[in-house]
Parts: sequence; C-alpha cells; structure tokens
Amino acid sequence: MKEMIYQTVCPGCNMGCGLYIRENEDGKLAVDFMKSSSANLGKLCRFGMKLPYHYSKSVSMVDGKKASVEYAVKIASDRLSGEDVCVNVNVALLGVGNTTNEESLAFNKIADRMGTIVNTGMGVYSELPTECHPTVGVGVTLNDIENVNRIALFVDPYIQYPLLVRRILAARKNGAYVVSVGLRDLHLADENRYIDPDLYESELGLDSGSVIITELHPNTDTGWVRRMLNLALRTQAKILFMKPFVNAAGVDLLCKGAGQKGIPEIMDGINEGNIKTLVVLDSDPIELMPDSDAAAAILKKLDNLIVITSRDSPVNRIADVVIATEPQYAKAGSFMNVEGRLLNNVHVYGDNNLPSGTAGIDALSTLNQYLGGEAMDYQTLHNKVLESIVRKYTKPKYKELACQVLDIGPVEGQKGNLIYLYNPFMWFDQPDDNDFVLVNMNMVKKLGLRKGGMIALGSDVGTVNIRYRVENMPDGLILSARKLPVATGWITMVSTEAVL
Amino acid sequence: MMTEQEWTPKIVAFCCNWCSYGGADTAGMGRFQQPASVRIIKVMCSGRIDPLHVFNAFLEGADAVLVTGCHLGDCHYVNGNEKTEVRHQFLEEMVQQLGLEPERLYLNWISASEGEKFANFVNDVTEKVKKLGPSPLKPEGVR
Amino acid sequence: MVEVGDMLVGYATDEDIRSRGASGGLVTAVLAAALEKGLVENVVVMKHINEFEAVPIITDDVKEVLASIGSLHSVPVNLAKYAVGRKVAMPAKPCDAQAVIEQAKRGMIDLDNTYIVGLNCGGSMHPVTTKKMLVEMYDIDPEDVVGEDIKKGKLVFKTKNGEEKALRIDELEEAGFGRRESCRFCTLKIPLNADLACGNWGVIGDLSGSATFCQVMNGKGVKLLENAIKAGRIEVQPASDKAIAIREKVNNVMVDLGNTLEKKILPVIPDEERLQYYIDQLADCVNCGACKEVCPVCACGEDSKCTTFHSLVDNYKMSMYHMVRMLHLADSCISCGQCSDVCPSDIPITLLKSRFAIPSQRKRNYHPGIDLDTPPFFEVMLK
Repeated sequence: MKEMIYQTVCPGCNMGCGLYIRENEDGKLAVDFMKSSSANLGKLCRFGMKLPYHYSKSVSMVDGKKASVEYAVKIASDRLSGEDVCVNVNVALLGVGNTTNEESLAFNKIADRMGTIVNTGMGVYSELPTECHPTVGVGVTLNDIENVNRIALFVDPYIQYPLLVRRILAARKNGAYVVSVGLRDLHLADENRYIDPDLYESELGLDSGSVIITELHPNTDTGWVRRMLNLALRTQAKILFMKPFVNAAGVDLLCKGAGQKGIPEIMDGINEGNIKTLVVLDSDPIELMPDSDAAAAILKKLDNLIVITSRDSPVNRIADVVIATEPQYAKAGSFMNVEGRLLNNVHVYGDNNLPSGTAGIDALSTLNQYLGGEAMDYQTLHNKVLESIVRKYTKPKYKELACQVLDIGPVEGQKGNLIYLYNPFMWFDQPDDNDFVLVNMNMVKKLGLRKGGMIALGSDVGTVNIRYRVENMPDGLILSARKLPVATGWITMVSTEAVL
Repeated sequence: MMTEQEWTPKIVAFCCNWCSYGGADTAGMGRFQQPASVRIIKVMCSGRIDPLHVFNAFLEGADAVLVTGCHLGDCHYVNGNEKTEVRHQFLEEMVQQLGLEPERLYLNWISASEGEKFANFVNDVTEKVKKLGPSPLKPEGVR
Repeated sequence: MVEVGDMLVGYATDEDIRSRGASGGLVTAVLAAALEKGLVENVVVMKHINEFEAVPIITDDVKEVLASIGSLHSVPVNLAKYAVGRKVAMPAKPCDAQAVIEQAKRGMIDLDNTYIVGLNCGGSMHPVTTKKMLVEMYDIDPEDVVGEDIKKGKLVFKTKNGEEKALRIDELEEAGFGRRESCRFCTLKIPLNADLACGNWGVIGDLSGSATFCQVMNGKGVKLLENAIKAGRIEVQPASDKAIAIREKVNNVMVDLGNTLEKKILPVIPDEERLQYYIDQLADCVNCGACKEVCPVCACGEDSKCTTFHSLVDNYKMSMYHMVRMLHLADSCISCGQCSDVCPSDIPITLLKSRFAIPSQRKRNYHPGIDLDTPPFFEVMLK
C-alpha cells in the first residue's frame, strides 16, 4: 500500500485548522502542515501537533463482544424499535459535532424517523430566544479580529484556543487595544482586569468597531452567555463564541433548536430514570462531563446505550452497541468552523482504489432503513448541506435578555474556586503534560507551598496532590487545564493545603 | 524580610570530583575567607556539564554560574575538560547574545591543591556579581 | 561525456515536458530518468493541489514525477526530512540541500543514496500572504492565477485569460508582502552544495524560457545527467561564456541584496535591551513544539534534550526549550524559515535563532549544509 495523504480539519476545537494527515504503509500517522489554509496558515497548536495520538480506530461491538458493522447496525435497530423504547419519552440522541455535516444530517434524519431531535449538547440554545441563535452560532471571521479597534477577551487563548493568539497579536499590531477579562494575566493583553460583571459595559469601552471573544461549551453557564449577548447588544460590538468541537457550528445549524437538551440535562434525565435509551454520534459524555467517573456511573443506568463513533473512547467500553465508522480524517464530508466557513475533507494522495469515506453514512443509512426510513447517500446529503447551512455573521437582532450570573470565588456560599479551563486535551481525555494547577503567589505564601512541591486539593468526591504553577491571577482561585478527580462541575469548591 | 542592601548573590559552582571539588575542599581546610554565596554541585567530570544545566541554574535563580574542572591535560577521563571548553565557547556566545552580562558565567581550571585560587575566584566573582545586582532571569519570588 | 564542473544548458527531449516545465523541464526529466533507470527507488516531489498549495510525496511512479512539473514559489516546504532513510532523488532549493547535508552529518541520510537536483532560488513566499498580496497589490483574484515567475527583480503572475502582471519585489516587500523574511537575507541562491545546480539564470538567446542552466557539482551529478542522457530524456550543450557570466551576475545581485537586507531584518539590538527582547518575543509561545518538528536540520527524534528538560509547570522567565534549541542550532541553523512559518503565535523564531547562529557560524567561518568535509563544530574544534 502507498502512503495516504488526507487533507482534513483539526478535531481539537471549532477553529477549523487545516492540516494533512499522512498515513504510511504501516498505518502510522503523521501530521503535515497545510500552509494555504485560511483559518490557521498551516499552523497548529499542541493538540494539533499531537493528533496522531488522538485518532484511534473504533471497533464495532454488541454487548461487549466484537461484531461486524452490519450486525451492530441490525442489533441497534432492534433495540431502538423494541417495545419498551418510547421515543417521545425516554430516548435521547446526542451529537455535539466531532464529525462531518453529512453524517450529522443523516443522524438528524434518523431522529426525524424516530420522531425526536438530535441534541447538540449545548443546552444554552434551548434557553435562549431563537433570534439569538445566529449570533451565538456563527461569529465574526478570524480575519476580522485582526482589524478591530478593541478586543474584550473572556477566554485564555494560550491554554484553550492557541490559534487565537496570533490573531489577537496581529490586531494589536494593527492598533487594537486588548483587554483581558479572563481568569489570569495574559501576556498578549494591553490590560488584564478583573471587573465586576455589572461594570463591563461602562469599563470595557466597547463600540461597534470592537469584538468580544468568549466561549460556549456544554457546561457554560447560561447566565453568562446572556450577559455576553447583552454586552454585545448594548455596545454594538461584534461577538465571537469559541466552541470546543469540530463542526459544533455545523451541527447547530443542522439540528432543530427547540427542545434541545444540554449534556448535563441529559445526564440528569438518565440519572433520574427518565431517559432509558441514549444514542450518541461521536460524542462521549464520559469525556464531555467534568467528572468522568460520575458520568460513567450514570450511563450504566441506561437500558440501551448505542454509540456510533470513529474513535475508541471510554463510552465504547460500556456501550451495548458500538457502530464503528472510519477515522474522521478519512471521512468524505465537510465541517463548518466557528466563523461559518465550510471546510472539506479531501483525499489528496494514495492508492487508486481509495476507500469512499462513507462507511459512517452507509451505516447510518442502513440503520435508517431498518427503522423504516429511506436510504441515504453521500452526494445527496452533501448537496443538502451545501444548500442549507451556509451562514455569515449577522448583527445582533435580539432584545435585551434577563440574566443572572453565578459568582465564582473562594468564599463559602459561592459556586467554587477550582475552575476548569476547557481545552481539547481535557475534552478528549488525552494525556498531556498539563499535570499541574495554576495558583497565585498569595496562595503559595498563605499555604506555605514549597518550590517544586505539591498542593493538596480536596472535595466531597476525593483528594488529589498536584504540582502547581504560579501565575498572576485573582486571590483564592485555582485553574486547571486537565480533569481532576476532585471536581464535580466546571467550577468546584475545593479545600487547599500544602503537601509537606 | 531582607532589605536590598543585605542582598547576597546566589552563585552555582559546578565542580569536578577529581580536581576543583578538591580545590574547594582545600579552600575550606585552609580557612580561606569565602562568601556564603556559593552552592557547589559536584559532578564526576566537568565534561558532564551540559549547557542545559547552566541554563537551568540561571532560570532557577542563580546570579552567576561557575563551571570548574581539572587543568587541561589533567582530565581523569582523557579529554572531558576539552569538551567542556568547546561547549563553553558556545555558551559564552549565547549568554552574550541573550543579553545576560558576561560576568555571570565563568570557566576556570582549578586543581585539588589550589585552595587559595578557588577562594579568590569565588570572592572575585561574588564582588562582581554584587555590583551587577540580581540576575534578570531570576524568577519572581526567588531571592 | 559529462564531467564534474561542467556548465551546461539543457532541456527535456519530450516536447510536452519541455513546454510544460518552467524552463525546459530539465529537472523533471532528470528525476524521471533516475527513477526509470533504477538509479533511485523513490523520488520526493511536490504534488500540486493548486497554485498555492502542494504536498510533498514520496513516489515510485514516473507519471507522478512528470505531473509535479513547474515551479511553485508559494509553497515554502523543506524536503530534507522526507528523504530520511530512503534511496531517493529530489529537487532541492539551496536550503533543502543544506538540510539534507546536515541530516547526513548526523547519520540520518546516506548521501551516497540521495541524489539532489538543486534549483536556483531567489526566495519563496507564504501562500496566504501571496493571496492577500494578489488582491491588494495586483488586483488579481487568487483563483485566476495559473503561473508565476521572477524576472529582473519583478514578481510576475499569469492569469487564466493569458494576462501577465509584474511588480517590483522590493516594492512588494516594502508593503509587507513578497518573499518570506528568511529568504530576503539568504545568500545561498545557487545550490552549489547539491549534485546539480540548475536554474534559468544564464539561459539566453533562443533558448531563453525553454532550457535550464546546469552546473555539475560532483560525481553524483555526473551520474544523474549521464543517466538522463542515456535514457533519452534530456539533451545538453555547453553553456557559452556569456551565459556563465550572466548567471554569475544575477547571483551577485541577489547575494548583495541579501547582505543589505540582513542588516535591515536583523538590526543590532543594544546589549541592555536584548534579554527583554527575547523574553517578550518568546512569551507568547504556546508550547506546540512545531518549530522542532519541522526543523529540517534537527535529527534528535521525539525524545530530545529540548523537550525532555522543558516542563510546562516551570514558570521560567525564558523557555528552557527555546534556550536549548538556540544553543543546539548555533552551528547547524540554516535560517530556512520553516520554524517561523509554522509558529502558531507568529513568533519570528527563525530570526531569533539566526541572531544566535549567524555570529557563531561567521566567527568560525563555518557554513552549515555545504559539504560533509565540515562536520558540526564540536567535532572540528576537538580535533
């Protein structure tokens, strides 16, 4: 076999970084740079550079035993049409992105067939008036960021969205003033401030030539999103919601907004026994929930857990049925990035008898047929995608939203002091060298932490000793870029002491 | 709390097992006056000192770094110190280009019997570094 | 008979290759012949995706070699790492050839098995910058471009409808476009370190635009040419004195320009400001490690000193990773610009490395990637 080269999009977040995956004769993967890619000029972050470790082949399984895809699909359809499956009541479908528009569309057709919807896991959508959706869904273009007069930054680009760093630096070079309202001091900001949210409008100096950069993920506080939307509305500033999954913007446009459930809500539903059957498309709640162990325990309560996936992830091991699809880079199809740009997978080089890249769609099509629906083929789905989901940034058209933002802080009665900085390594539960938390010098002094030593964190669910790194950040907070066994949510109240 | 006037530099001295560590020992036994600023790290041969050890010393807060070993021709591992010397040339150039004062990095050959030389060397460096003040690479929170 | 030192002018015998090639298709024909006649097992070429994108492939298919014809100034890839561990022939810009030789010094490439067909290079451009330049300076839709060329200090773009537009390179660079920074101060324009040094400088008269000037640098160069002549792929003739003089003149102009631009691109930073300059430049590093991954002279593999002794938990004022690499590359950096190209934080990392490497190399009159007779300094100095 010849070396295969695929042009694809990085699955780390919704930035849409173009790259090549080279698969050599032995199946070993390597990343190569696609310098003409508009989103990233071929540049990649730490996650992108480590992509060969991210892709893993999934294997079709039925009740824990290896099976053929055909058999897995058949069994899945049997389970889905079983007597105790009552679509409107106790079934949930989840697809956060992480796959092509075409597969997502096929998944939506199955949902239609079953009389339900696909949940994108972003609960915020169902809690916001529909006129807000376009603003949240597709943001300003990444090129536009470079030409604004002012940037209000609510994310940590270094840790969370590294490809934003160069855009913000370019904006500064072009004269923009950058205010970081994040959780720690950032080198790229002109000003690092910890402002009372009530004072954002008066203190940040935003106008129609400015941009607000913030994020949206399954565990985002809705109050926060509302506040950001209000800020954009009042100041007329443009806004960009960074999103954590490749094609998160695409699935948002493909899925019906009404009745959307967030992942936390779905997990609550399972836990309370209201949801008995869960079908997921390239979405692993164990990876996506802040507390992996708790999520796995909840998923075990399901009668039916059907996983359609291209990766070998933790949920596969507890699934009743796993329907394996080809790796994401090998799929035929398109992805939409955070700025609304449609990016295609292209098979650039390799043998003449190339795989079609439609194994996932074929499996979904078969499943749909078993359920009494029609067959679906790639080209038809692709054409539909091209027709239906091209979007551009639009000026806010919503009205002022009511909102209440939760307090974060080390004080009792507030939500908590350990805060997750979501980044692709965390989402995908990939090992990396972020095995430390961020604290400030006052905490080091207060606790008497030793240089090169550890800090002990404790909560109701456990304790952990972990190394720390000193940063300029507000007193009492602890930031983490990886999941810790003490956390119960994206914010957790933890106790702190020095490890002696 | 220390005041600024009390500041004493931190100097990391890499000494080889066979010569310069002996030199440091002899300096102590001979009761030559030495400042408390030096931290000695013993290695078997100066040839073991990788530039990254020197960088690490600076990044961790050293105000000066001394690399010491046997006189040329006296190396107990044939030519370890000759390798040190070649490396040192690059290190020196790098420190210079970085913009770190050249008075913060030294290479010196000291035999086991040269206790006084060791003491004078350390005193001399300490004086020079005191004039320079703390290293600009010193991390915050480290004195 | 071809001999080392010969200065020739040649072209592909196949009319199709000759007309499609940028200058007579000699390089493509030589590579194809090397593969056909078993001189090598593979050829490394760029597979074109469009005018601004190509991806290196390692092929044993003559058709793919022939399809790769034509120059691409907007695809600044260094090919050296693709040649590691193979018996290959490859086209090479001077910096590709430098990197191949540096890899050979470190035992990663067997030069006896690697045939390097060098190409004159006046510089390459970043594809995204080029597209932006087309829109802003040329008023051409990037999609319409079908070819480019550098002629007499001007950058020429040809469009679908047969039009050509040329602008002066120095003007483009003044406006922030044009060649990559590292290309601007590069002074190795003719790949005298390759086996063959090919290019269109010195191709005059009737042959202008349809032949390649080729200097035979060593025994492998002789083999490559004789092999291609024997295979009936190319025809060569001696270059005239005038041609040789013109090539030399073009080269001198380019080298002088490079020397002038170096002072502009790498201005002296006062002693007391340098440390802060480096700290500031490196402060936006996101630790992706791409600069090492892409570095064509690095032969350390995955577990290397720069990464092993660098930890994200350290909050040092400067990154250990970069410090180790600065020193490590002091002898071998060829200022090819690959690291700057892939830096996600747009750190001008090549320029930073050059600030360390160029003085060290000049002081010892050492030129990395020229020949195997000058091993890395460390060895030289111990002898």
